[in-house]
Amino acid sequence: MRNFVLALLKYKDHFILLVAVSLSLTILLKNDSPNVHIIRGKFSDTFSIISSPFAWMRSMIQLQDETQLLREKNVQLTLQMEAMLQSEAQFHDMRKLVGFKQDSSLTLIAGQVVNMGASSNLSSITIDIGSNDGVKVGQPVVVPGGVVGKTVVVGKNTTVVQIINDVNYRLSVRIIPSGSVGILQFLNNNICEVRELQKNAEISIGDKVVTSGFSQIYPKNLPVGEVIEVLDERNSFQKVARVRIKPNLGALMYVFIVMGDQDGLD
Amino acid sequence: MVWINRIIPLLMVFLIQFLLVDFLSINLIRPDFIVIYVFYFSLMFGRAPGIIMGFTIGLLSDLTGVGSHFGLGPLTLSITAYLTGYLNGKYERLLPYVFHLFWIGIIGFHFFMLTYVRFQTVMVSDWVEFGMKWLLSFGYTMIFFFIIQFFYPVREASRAEIR
Repeated sequence: MRNFVLALLKYKDHFILLVAVSLSLTILLKNDSPNVHIIRGKFSDTFSIISSPFAWMRSMIQLQDETQLLREKNVQLTLQMEAMLQSEAQFHDMRKLVGFKQDSSLTLIAGQVVNMGASSNLSSITIDIGSNDGVKVGQPVVVPGGVVGKTVVVGKNTTVVQIINDVNYRLSVRIIPSGSVGILQFLNNNICEVRELQKNAEISIGDKVVTSGFSQIYPKNLPVGEVIEVLDERNSFQKVARVRIKPNLGALMYVFIVMGDQDGLD
Repeated sequence: MVWINRIIPLLMVFLIQFLLVDFLSINLIRPDFIVIYVFYFSLMFGRAPGIIMGFTIGLLSDLTGVGSHFGLGPLTLSITAYLTGYLNGKYERLLPYVFHLFWIGIIGFHFFMLTYVRFQTVMVSDWVEFGMKWLLSFGYTMIFFFIIQFFYPVREASRAEIR
């Protein structure tokens, strides 16, 4: 025993490293454990208290530009709305005629981004709504430009969102109009790759990419992005499409969690 | 009292990283002040305190929010602290260029570990892009490293014997 203690003292640096590495690997392997989620949720609530004044300050800095942008948008939308109201009336009449099924409605809840983590590469954001607001793990997170991620850790007042550029993020998508289905993963900047597309799929640059609905998390037809490149290698059995996503992930201020009915947008 | 002197800088660095790093973000790449602190800490105080500090601050950093790979921060920072601890008090015994290459190599290795895990899909798709990711995240933090050299050079930290 004495020899063991002496050896431990002699090689304490190596021993401490071994303990630290073992603990880190244990945490890494227990990422999906409910206990780890609870701890992360509690810490997320605590850290959001510290970061919320800074988030408020940041939003104030951007407020003026945003107000100007909203004014312009408001005028554009008011003009569009008149035309759309007329179209809607016609659309409803037509739907009744063909017996089309009722639109599903998505219930959205808005959240402000309070922090973006402390790691050197952005892979998550924390928002100021949590289980008290009805948020659960595994709910889609969207912005007007499209899908940005999903909820992974839910605290009482905050939620950690895994964003689309995380290495473990995958999204089942459909390319419109061809209808080809593939798996989307992040590549770099705001470019993603859609893999596992059928070789004979007809995909063109500019095609829209939406969620496929083959998922327990994402309803179908949520906007994702637009095809900018199609890679079709001879020796491959699949096609790969490169997709540009619209949201600027580094400048997210507000996001929306899709809460209610998840049948998708028709 | 010694521990207070060590914990206050830890909290300050952590808060700087947590609160201000977004303002320095370029194309989703952010400087890593935590690795700079862990590096200097290990260089000054040796391996064992460095590993403990690296593990603690890495865990805190991951608790602020990571999309996946929760636990990667403490792992990489512990290894970085262990490797850096070797340089504690070694400046006089090694050739200067060997010393400087060694510590730059350690920081490069730290970012390689992080990039390898976080961008493994990019590595599969495009090696060059993966290399750029590593180089940019490593390079951006190194800029701050070099700025710090004007105030507190690495060779001074290596000689320091504050126990």
